[in-house]
Amino acid sequence: MTDTIRMIALLDEATQTAEAIDALHALGIEDSKIVVMSGVPYPERALGRHVGWLTLPYIVAAGAVVGFLVGLFLAVITPHLYRLDVGGHPPAAFGPAAVIVFVFTMISTIVSTFLGVLWEMDFPRFGRAPYHNLVTDGKLAVLLEIPRNLEAKARNILEAHKAHHIGDPEWISL
Amino acid sequence: MGRDVNTLTKTSGNGRRWAMVIDLDRCTGCQACLVACHAENNVPVAGETASAYGRWLHWVIIQRFWEGQYPNVKARFNPLMCQQCTEAPCEPVCPVFATYHNPEGLNAQIYNRCIGTRFCGNACPYKARTFNWFTPEFPEPLTEQLNPDVTVRSRGIMEKCTFCVQRIRRVELAAAAEGRSLHDGEVQPACVQTCPPGALIFGDLNDPDSRVSQLARSRRSFRLLAELGTDPAVVYLKGGETNV
Amino acid sequence: MSDAAALPLGQAESRDEVPAEYEERLLLAQRTDAEINEAVLKPMFRGGLGFWALVAGLGGVILWGLYSWGYLIQYGLGTTGKNRPVYWTLFITTFVFWIGISHAGTMISAVLRLLKADWRRPITRGAEAMTAFALMVAGLYPLIHLGRVWKFYWMIPYPNNRLMWPNFQSPLMWDLVAITTYLVSSSLYLYLAMIPDMAMARDHTTGWRHRLYRTLALGWRGTEAEWHKLLRALAIFSVAIIPIFLSVHSIVSWDFAVTIQPRWHSTIFAPYFVIGAVYSGLSALATILIIVRRGMRLQEFLRSEHFDSLGKLIMVAGMLWTYFWFAGFLVEWYGNEPIVRALIEEEISGSLAPFFYLQMGANLIPILLLAFRKVRTTPILLLGTTLLVNVGMYTERALIVIGSLQRNDLPFNWGTYRPTWVEISVVAMTFAAFALLYTLFSRIVPYVPVWEIKEGRLRYTLRRIGRLLVPTAAEIE
Repeated sequence: MTDTIRMIALLDEATQTAEAIDALHALGIEDSKIVVMSGVPYPERALGRHVGWLTLPYIVAAGAVVGFLVGLFLAVITPHLYRLDVGGHPPAAFGPAAVIVFVFTMISTIVSTFLGVLWEMDFPRFGRAPYHNLVTDGKLAVLLEIPRNLEAKARNILEAHKAHHIGDPEWISL
Repeated sequence: MGRDVNTLTKTSGNGRRWAMVIDLDRCTGCQACLVACHAENNVPVAGETASAYGRWLHWVIIQRFWEGQYPNVKARFNPLMCQQCTEAPCEPVCPVFATYHNPEGLNAQIYNRCIGTRFCGNACPYKARTFNWFTPEFPEPLTEQLNPDVTVRSRGIMEKCTFCVQRIRRVELAAAAEGRSLHDGEVQPACVQTCPPGALIFGDLNDPDSRVSQLARSRRSFRLLAELGTDPAVVYLKGGETNV
Repeated sequence: MSDAAALPLGQAESRDEVPAEYEERLLLAQRTDAEINEAVLKPMFRGGLGFWALVAGLGGVILWGLYSWGYLIQYGLGTTGKNRPVYWTLFITTFVFWIGISHAGTMISAVLRLLKADWRRPITRGAEAMTAFALMVAGLYPLIHLGRVWKFYWMIPYPNNRLMWPNFQSPLMWDLVAITTYLVSSSLYLYLAMIPDMAMARDHTTGWRHRLYRTLALGWRGTEAEWHKLLRALAIFSVAIIPIFLSVHSIVSWDFAVTIQPRWHSTIFAPYFVIGAVYSGLSALATILIIVRRGMRLQEFLRSEHFDSLGKLIMVAGMLWTYFWFAGFLVEWYGNEPIVRALIEEEISGSLAPFFYLQMGANLIPILLLAFRKVRTTPILLLGTTLLVNVGMYTERALIVIGSLQRNDLPFNWGTYRPTWVEISVVAMTFAAFALLYTLFSRIVPYVPVWEIKEGRLRYTLRRIGRLLVPTAAEIE
């Protein structure tokens, strides 16, 4: 692993970035060794990259099921645990139970979406990471992890696509 | 609209359904019931100004309706207390079960469970529930006659007529100790005991021979806002001519 | 790939062709990303004398309101104007009002996000923050109005020491869980969409602000994977939060509609409350945007194109409100039930008449005014119009809550109501608290969602149709 290096380059524009990534692929650099950072979300595949599979929908569905069951327990089971009658109503009935079950399903869905996406993004992740402050100013940063022997070729490709600030990534505490 | 009085059978355990009959022909509007209730149930006196603003705490109140134009004016008196509804609208809305249906079919108010949302007060179509707007005050020497069987309520909670549940319990316990059943008329809430013309009658509606049962079957019987279907345990006997 | 190439991505060459008339449009304006960042961040650091005077003034009102609340707790609810039968008054009225205000945030950001309405972009954050803060102050009222607020936790669903659970049949329990859900959802939604802008602010600040933004950004770098996941989560939020927003005001309306109190006992209450909430919430949003726009000099981002669209939306909501109001009124009037008739007479020509005509006037006149483009696009006119809507909607809630309770089935129990200084102070406190939270928020968090604007610019382009050059949005998703 000692002979791999990290390299960062800033580009101004998405089309150039996509072309540069194509060229880097042609050089034999795996997709997983390229990280693109941007201040704007680019549409999937706009940069010619593989789109990862997310477990988020499963987390959300699991959260919804848990919320549904908690709601069901509170609305339908608890009235029988300590029986208190109220005028004209059975201990548990469809209407009130539907409201409670719905609300608990929704809050659990929402909270699991939030926690799920943080977990997927591996957040919070403080500490030093390769980054460039100009990303939020509209530049696209391409971060490569490549064998040392490809460094010169990669640099040529990037320069050919008008990249600048090419060099060792600065490890910034985030 | 209302169901037959004798369908008031939502009871359990001892099979009793406590009920009150109010004979409007006999009511003179003297308000003795109200005073007796205050004394029995530790109900504070709100005072004139507060009462005029609708903040009285009476558990029973003589509603007075004027009929006709001067000089041909008639006063109608209608004593109103908690109607101990079978299908009580106040009960389901309480978030903390401070009011609920006890096994004898009474609409119970649990003071120390109440957090004071006043939702039950809005839900009650009879507005028979009162709220402790301030910490109740009993000027000396009224504190000497507070009833030890009844909680003195704090500020911020709802209260209402309980059919003198403490008296019901006392008689029931005494009867149980003596190993006998209750006889009709043995339980008397304070208002019933006090009413000079005997307009108020209390008893078990599920006992077909009790006095309330017989009176409730009278052709004069009606129940307040029967069309709402709340199925009250207070039965009124229609009044004829009461001139004042 | 070919799509992407057609877009004015670098904002460089293609931007030069933008005719002057389209410069008015935010998403076609010639600005670099760095300039946008600066334009959004700069007003946040300005804390002039006026700002601190505002904070001090609002703080004063809040302190006075807290004193009033303490007084209320110390001496009991008798210090308010409540009585029997008017058990619920200004507190519940204002509660319903704030819950209503909270509805516009979701309306704007979730519904319009799903519908891909681009004019939403600069105003989503302001709207979401409005939702969160309105819910925070609304959530105070169920506590304030309790007779024994120190026992409020008895409503929280856990088995107490006698293993007794709360009553889930009570609409107040539904309220508790629904408002909690909405507050949690809208706060998380607001925060999630804020993370990239926190990173932007982190990269451009120093000192305590840098530390704050660094913490809130959670280590965001803007990698493709992060964006992909964030957008997916936001899409799920948008879909999930819409039923929540519909349920919250429905549940608030059921606090009233489940009772058999005349007028309250109505099946139309739930949709009527929801649409009223949207009407009042959107109007409040327009009011706030106009004030913030001026206070923070955000004229560049909050433009007449946005107020124009927002005004149209308010107008539609107002028409729907009128429709629902009429549908309820007609049936009440036609049914001619004695108590409801008494209420209607009281409104048409009795003691409630001033409020009734205020409600109708203040809700209906704005609908007519908003039909004019000049009203929608002139800030001062729109400010007046939207303020009028909320005067009308507040009056509407007061009539429903306080007005209806004054009449009930037994005429002996009819009542009246006069507010006291305690109630008015507490209500003023919540208005001040909302304003203070919002003011501080606008100085700490980029008020305009920068990344959403940049994303919109990415999507926007000019197409030549015949001899015309027209702006279009590209379908990239």
